[in-house]
Amino acid sequence: MGFLDIDGVSKSFGGLRAVADCSFEVPHGSLMGFIGPNGAGKSTLFNLVSGLYQPETGSIRLEGDELVGRPPDEIARMGLGRTFQTPRSFSTLSCMENMLASVQSPGENLLSALLGNYRSHETATTEEAHRLLGVVGLGGRAEDAADELSGGELRMLEVARQLIRQPTILLLDEPTAGVSPRLQSRLADLLRGLHADGLTVLVVEHNLGFLLDLVQHVVVMVKGSVLTEGDPDAIRRDPRVINAYLGRGGGDAA
Amino acid sequence: MNWAQLVTTVVTVGSILGVVTLVLNMQYGHAGMINFGVVAYFAAGAYTYVLLTQSPPSSLDQYVVGLDLPVWVGFLGAALAGLVFALVTGWPTLRLRGEYLALTTFAFAEVFHSFILNEQRFANGTRGLVGLERPLRDQITFVDYNVFFAAAALLFLVIVYLIFERIVRSPYGRALEALRDEELALITVGKQSGRFRLEVFLFTAPFAAMAGAFYIWYTTLALPELFTAEVTFIVWIALILGGEGSNRGALIGIFLVVVFEELVRAIPFTTVRAAQIAAEVEVAALGLLLIVFLRWQPFSSLARMRRRTG
Repeated sequence: MGFLDIDGVSKSFGGLRAVADCSFEVPHGSLMGFIGPNGAGKSTLFNLVSGLYQPETGSIRLEGDELVGRPPDEIARMGLGRTFQTPRSFSTLSCMENMLASVQSPGENLLSALLGNYRSHETATTEEAHRLLGVVGLGGRAEDAADELSGGELRMLEVARQLIRQPTILLLDEPTAGVSPRLQSRLADLLRGLHADGLTVLVVEHNLGFLLDLVQHVVVMVKGSVLTEGDPDAIRRDPRVINAYLGRGGGDAA
Repeated sequence: MNWAQLVTTVVTVGSILGVVTLVLNMQYGHAGMINFGVVAYFAAGAYTYVLLTQSPPSSLDQYVVGLDLPVWVGFLGAALAGLVFALVTGWPTLRLRGEYLALTTFAFAEVFHSFILNEQRFANGTRGLVGLERPLRDQITFVDYNVFFAAAALLFLVIVYLIFERIVRSPYGRALEALRDEELALITVGKQSGRFRLEVFLFTAPFAAMAGAFYIWYTTLALPELFTAEVTFIVWIALILGGEGSNRGALIGIFLVVVFEELVRAIPFTTVRAAQIAAEVEVAALGLLLIVFLRWQPFSSLARMRRRTG
């Protein structure tokens, strides 16, 4: 049993089978990459794991607990963190407020809000938020509104927003799109550090250079199923993967 | 023109409608919920207050019940009615987004208005209840009653403003704005967006309902024509004028609108025709004002003036 088990999961949209009988397991503490041509079902898979979609069949378990049927906010509270292909943050709030709004605060019930007994928690969180914003390269922008950030900076903010929650598993959907090379290497360092600390990280990425240098294990998806998986070097040489990317019916070769 | 009287009226009406504007600002400006039926909560409070405090119906009166209870019980009853009304209307509709919520809240308010207008046995229908008592009318001898009442309404507004400001500046207010900005991002950090929506609705509606009781004290009338969609639109216009998302802006907006309306009303017209024309022009001018403000947003900087801990 892995840390995250995907077992026979399928999801269709009308006549399109976005994810078809997909199975694999993610060991605890692994740093795993997902590649595949557009429409292979990578993002759909992330949406299924995080509870935004419900699968028609199959089971998704985190540390043995079934996730299918649970609402996304509950799955998030169970320790799952995720980012989106199009970065999503709180546009009118400052970067600091974005960070603070991403943790559970005792001031988030009406009575405490009125009584004001959340200040010590707020102070401690603010400190951690400053540290994390520095880590993702937004140290000087804490007071800027999120809608003043560039696309790449928004992605980094989204990662930082998830990290402040201290998830046990982190799903990143194309974290390097629109991110400058300097920030990309900073992101890679950050992810290696988190991996070293024992966080389980799943990354969907079209930037193969970035991904294959980063992860130890790659899952290749085509037409909603796992075509093959293995270490980056094996994947680089696999003719089926090359065919899949070139649209030569890699799925049939499997 | 009697300036003292004008000021008293502006403070009274501005404070009562100011509370409703603050409620809408919490729901829409902060939490992003489009409520086009604000008047329903205002009216629910007003009518509940009347039915709780009036003497039982006699002779030609047809209203359903008159419990003859003390004023403060009526006031609390109004708040409770606002809560119940928010629960009944909020529970099924708050899962709707944007314009769908706008349509259903508008429909709810229209249904309620239609009910008080046409159901004679609820509150005398179109005839309504008139000449209602004003609280402490006989005890207030040391100062003009209208001045006393304006001060009371203003005090009510200040209290509501302080409560709402405290919430807006807390992590709760931050979560509401996060919900308005990007619900999906809030859900994926583990928060129940539906809980926030319903809570804000339930927490704020009673204040609009209590403002309804104040409105009864002010007008001494419970007439369906005082509780039409026009109230909703005036409050919306005020909020947009002042800049949604800022409680201070909401108050600036509503006082601008009320001053404008009362000034027009204070003009001594010599003919009915002139007054009619003025009334039409007033509505057109409000519309123009709205367009001008939407275009140039003179108070939008207010919304950004607040900064929380950090």
